[in-house]
Amino acid sequence: MTGVVLSLRQLGVELAGRDGPRLASNMAPVLEGLDLEVREGEMTALVGESGSGKTIAALAVMRLLPPGARITGQALFGGEDLLGLDERQMRARRGSVGMVFQNPLSALNPSMTIGRQVAEGHRLHTGASAQAARRHAVDLLGEVGIPDPARRLDEYPHQFSGGQRQRVMIAAALACNPKLLIADEPTTGLDPLVARQILDLLAKLQRDHRMGLLFITHDLSLVERHAQRLCVLYAGRAVEWGEAPAFFARPRHPYSHALLAAVPRLGQATLRGIAGTMPDPGHRPHGCRFAPRCPQRQDACTRAYPPPVGDGRTQAACLFPLGEIPVAAALPEAPAATTPLPGSALLQMQSVTIRYGSRAGLLGGSKAAVAPSLDDVSLELARGECLGIVGESGSGKSTLGRAILHMLRYEGRILLDGRALGDLSPGDRRRERRRVQVVFQDPRESLNPRLRIGAIIAEALQLGGQHDRDSLRRQTDALLERVGLNAALAGRLPNAISGGQAQRVAVARALAARPDIIVLDEPTSALDVSTQAMLLNLLRDLSRHEQLAYVMISHDIAAIAWLADRIAVLRAGRIVELATTDQLVNHPRDPYSASLVASAPRLGAATITVPGEA
Amino acid sequence: MRILGGIGRKLGSAALSLAILITLTFVLVHVAPGSPVYQILGPKASPASIRELNHALGLDLPFWHQYFRWWLDLAHGQLGTSYSVERPVGSLIVSYELNTLALQIVSLVASLLIAFALGLAHGVFYDRTPGRIIGGVELALYAMPSFFSGTLLILLFSMQLGWFPAGGLENLRLAHQTVASNALHMALPCVTIVLLTVPVLSRYFAQSVHEELGRDYVRSAAARGASPSRILLHHVIRNALRPLVTVLGLSLPSIFAGGVVVETVFSYPGLGWLLWRSALAQDYPVLIGIVLVIGILTVLGNLLADIVNTLLDPRTGYA
Ligand code: SF4
Repeated sequence: MTGVVLSLRQLGVELAGRDGPRLASNMAPVLEGLDLEVREGEMTALVGESGSGKTIAALAVMRLLPPGARITGQALFGGEDLLGLDERQMRARRGSVGMVFQNPLSALNPSMTIGRQVAEGHRLHTGASAQAARRHAVDLLGEVGIPDPARRLDEYPHQFSGGQRQRVMIAAALACNPKLLIADEPTTGLDPLVARQILDLLAKLQRDHRMGLLFITHDLSLVERHAQRLCVLYAGRAVEWGEAPAFFARPRHPYSHALLAAVPRLGQATLRGIAGTMPDPGHRPHGCRFAPRCPQRQDACTRAYPPPVGDGRTQAACLFPLGEIPVAAALPEAPAATTPLPGSALLQMQSVTIRYGSRAGLLGGSKAAVAPSLDDVSLELARGECLGIVGESGSGKSTLGRAILHMLRYEGRILLDGRALGDLSPGDRRRERRRVQVVFQDPRESLNPRLRIGAIIAEALQLGGQHDRDSLRRQTDALLERVGLNAALAGRLPNAISGGQAQRVAVARALAARPDIIVLDEPTSALDVSTQAMLLNLLRDLSRHEQLAYVMISHDIAAIAWLADRIAVLRAGRIVELATTDQLVNHPRDPYSASLVASAPRLGAATITVPGEA
Repeated sequence: MRILGGIGRKLGSAALSLAILITLTFVLVHVAPGSPVYQILGPKASPASIRELNHALGLDLPFWHQYFRWWLDLAHGQLGTSYSVERPVGSLIVSYELNTLALQIVSLVASLLIAFALGLAHGVFYDRTPGRIIGGVELALYAMPSFFSGTLLILLFSMQLGWFPAGGLENLRLAHQTVASNALHMALPCVTIVLLTVPVLSRYFAQSVHEELGRDYVRSAAARGASPSRILLHHVIRNALRPLVTVLGLSLPSIFAGGVVVETVFSYPGLGWLLWRSALAQDYPVLIGIVLVIGILTVLGNLLADIVNTLLDPRTGYA
């Protein structure tokens, strides 16, 4: 057992229910019986969707769970059970067990210089002088790739970009000289290119410093290249675990398969979501927790939690594992045929430029010229076509969407059926505007929380001039059905349905206006992996049946490539490449689009099996 | 440079609203029933002496005439003369304002120190028993109006125990007292103000400490092995103080203006009391002068709070 840095044995966590007093009856198990190993110089990935208990596991190891949490089992760190230490002893271990959190902006103190935050851990653990800690901080910031670290030491977190902030967080964790580093979704919310760099950095540091790395993520494709070991969690329990290469070569558990099939990869033709939702703690089924959503389910599955099956490399808790079917067979290659674009252009953007003035603050602001958010952009959209807009944050892709929706002032021309909106009478303009609808990233924010689902959709229908009660009802039900929702949902409030369902409601509301174009602004990025695939499938079906055109905006080039006929790559407000999906994915011409394509998960990478490896 | 432009714009709009306020006050005091002359001469005055005094004070002039004369005087740096004590309004306000400032600043410093300690404890033990107890005490104090707590204090400490005087000056015509001689007079009003201010500030600070303690950066610091006291001192307090500064800024005007209720209950010769007395005596020049001074000080107070807030927040780029 040499080289094992962390060993979890039957780790379990119970948390108090979100509301009500902390009574024994109110405690719900959020994590049960987790066994896991992290070795020196290796990366172990803990994979699961939100609600799977993956972050809870990390916080349990750090002993940073909210007060009242009940932890069972063991967490052996260097042979010592962290769960048995008192708070004082544990404090001395924290740092040796370092942690990097999601969302580096809030994880850094906004009113403390980054130099002091990076130095803090070093001073605490070595008792070094402020001077020495400062020098050490410069070295560390350099090591994690902050250019000119000595100069930036006295700057504040808000002066750094998202990726740099995460680098600062990593440096602050490194300052404690950790033997084990826990990274909790460190790349979520970052642009794919930046996320790749952060991941590469972590993998490099883990080798250089001979640390064990516990990498927590919802995205299997992210850890494919780097993880040595892996554990997939579902609803608080491990469903499959073992050596990562063996897992990717031959996943056994139906949930692992579903998860792999749900993440869009370049070159993939079918995308399968997982119907249903993950059960909440306290309402989990007896027996296999995946049973309600499992296509393989048989009666035996619901009787008791399935015992592990497998070999020395990977094991899965499943009665009827899928081991024999490699993922590649389940996911056929995309057919190269792209239908030629029919007819004339539905929407035309001609040399559209958008400048935001810098807003004056309380104590005044300079009116200095800022670079335009959108710079001389021209493109066309045909009836029934899906145009993907891809770019990193700040590239102007959301601005482009807003311009199409006429939510902003712009220079240049935007034509719908060859006519500019500005030339129409106010009544016509309103009618024309309704032909372009939008679905935003976060359905919870775009749906009025006080209106019932039925009323939200009926309102959209009424805006179209329909007022007959009975017909409104019938149409509302029909719309819900078209987006794959039960009409019974009409009586619920938005916060009583899942995120995936809420996003479907947003789509139904857009459809209520009988649009020709729907702008999809990051439609899947607030959703869990399994729900994303369901929504993308729905969108594709709708476009095929209704001649609906989409402008889909996303930083996820794989998701876009799955749906779009053509893709425009946006960078700093300009289109650097506009090509058919096939062309762009296989033969990108612009170096920037090439790097975007290279950073995206690609079909085939997961299924390469090298026998005898690992 | 940016900061100066912003201040200029703010001052401009403040001057406009101040002019409107003055005009409104002017109209209000003139449409109010009664006349200062009756107040000065008493009910038995002869019509001739009333006419004479009316003329001497310029009250027989048309309204517009009086209004514009006031602005003209202001342009010459004059605020007029008090009807009831026959002193220039400017110097009258200054001497009373000094008393108010002395009382308010002493009370504020005391309130801040107490509220800081109380709020910190409240914030740290927010959901636990000590926090709930502190919260209960704060709420009880908060619910107590100052005329009530003030009267209680007088009953206990000056009537029963005789430790402090119950009041200062009763009559504006008496010789004016100095700040130093007011020290003893200040004790009870000061306690009353502290009782009024502490619960507000302390609850605010507690809320803010509690919120900051729940933030992600606190968890990051804990993950580095920082102790709870270190987290509090090095991370939380500075961030938690920022909203407190905003509240303080909002209360700056009342610091300059003093409390009408507290100063009246204790007959403390401050601006609030002067305002009350002048209103009773229909002493127009003093009344309008006080409105002007309070208005100006309010604007300056808010501006000061804005600047301090800007300097405290590194995101605005001045830190
Ligand atoms: S045990 Fe049964 S229900 Fe559970 S994953 Fe396996 S086949 Fe599906």
